[in-house]
Amino acid sequence: MLEQAVIYTFVAFVLIGGGLAAFSRQILYAIIGLGISLLGLAGLFLNLGSPFVAAMQVLIYIGGITVAIVFAMMLSIAMSIRPPDPDARKLGFAIACAVIFFGAVAHLIRGAQFQQIASPASEKAWSVGALGHALLTHYNVVFETLSLVLLLAIIGAILIARKALPKENS
Amino acid sequence: MKTDIIQLFENPYLALGVSIAVIMAYLSVNAIMLIWLERKLSARIQRRIGPQRGPFGLMQQIFDMGKLLSKELLTPKHANKLLYVIAPILVFAPVVALSSLFPITSTYIFHDFNIAIVLILAISGINVIGIFLAGWGSNNKYALLGAVRSVAQNISYEIPLILSVIPIVMITRTMSLYDITLAQETYPFILVQPIALIIFIISATAETNRAPFDIPEAESELVAGFHTEYSGMRFGLFFFAEYSNMIFACALATVLFLGGWHGPFLPDAVWFFIKVYALIVLMMWFRWTFPRLRFDQLMKFAWVVLVPLSLINLLITTLVLKIV
Repeated sequence: MLEQAVIYTFVAFVLIGGGLAAFSRQILYAIIGLGISLLGLAGLFLNLGSPFVAAMQVLIYIGGITVAIVFAMMLSIAMSIRPPDPDARKLGFAIACAVIFFGAVAHLIRGAQFQQIASPASEKAWSVGALGHALLTHYNVVFETLSLVLLLAIIGAILIARKALPKENS
Repeated sequence: MKTDIIQLFENPYLALGVSIAVIMAYLSVNAIMLIWLERKLSARIQRRIGPQRGPFGLMQQIFDMGKLLSKELLTPKHANKLLYVIAPILVFAPVVALSSLFPITSTYIFHDFNIAIVLILAISGINVIGIFLAGWGSNNKYALLGAVRSVAQNISYEIPLILSVIPIVMITRTMSLYDITLAQETYPFILVQPIALIIFIISATAETNRAPFDIPEAESELVAGFHTEYSGMRFGLFFFAEYSNMIFACALATVLFLGGWHGPFLPDAVWFFIKVYALIVLMMWFRWTFPRLRFDQLMKFAWVVLVPLSLINLLITTLVLKIV
């Protein structure tokens, strides 16, 4: 009974935070919403018996990414300006993207053949050693691809930030 | 043999409640005593006498507590009410949550968590958000400036902090604080990782926003930084959080580098606390000895000195571990 309540509390965190992140007009609230949502997700991981993934979720997404967004925001003027009124075309495009993505993921989840297991996976299967071993052997290609994607993102971010420089100098 | 205190209770929620109560009680008393110690120490360093009410000036803190508790909680008119109220809790809560992880004695611990170090690094990052919300929610330019500085500083010094912890994990091949302490039975890791300890102490001082890294609350520039608009017990929570973060950082340094509870003659817990409070006195000594850094000096020190140094230390540790 209490465990159910805990799970639904985390689900509520995820949904409310997500809603706040998506619909808030003030960018700071959107970031806080994102943080709440990610915290709820970490709670769900914890509930699924994987404290390591939960801790990583908090370390990377809340301690890293959310704080980095806060940092980026406070160095820009985004915090003090009034947000522009929503553009119907952009809104429609965003809703279409969201619906397509949701549909695809929902379709995948519905089609997946989940195996009913008697007991949750043992702590050993989720242990740091097992995860590290799996990442560097069986899932090596995925792991390396992801790091390449991150490298590309970093280079892209630098490029975007760089473009403004010559204009200011001239 | 170790016993988890949490497992002594039948009901896990009761265990949780009792643990939180014990930790909160300890942290509150500790903060009061540390403020007294800091005032006495600073007075001695500056050739003053310091607080004098009661025996050794101890009553001064009790009176100060009474003052803080009975003060009216003012909320500025233009502040963002919700963020303003939540922020001090967000700053104080992580430290309470994490204090249960420390193995104070070899026999009784709250809970031996096998990923304790990841958890500590993860959750201690949350109080940055609390500080930022405090500064932003107060709707005051000094508070906002202090918060901006604090976030920049915390992000920068978190990297050398994490990099200085990794060598210990590599040596011991465990992330449980209990096992790390056990691994130091013959010699503490200060002997093999002295550079990591120095980087850790410097970064931890910066993370707790204490002088010489106290530019987020530099009183001569920013009134009181991010907590300028706070009064009464809400201000008290920031104050408590600072001293609790101090003891938390020193306890972590004790476990990682100074051998935790290991020591001759005296009982486990006594050794643990001797080491922790020695480090705290060291941090207080820093505060009353070094002048405050300028902001660019501070950032430069983190990125140009500490990060490369910790990376080199990590590299050397890796090579040595590979060869040996």
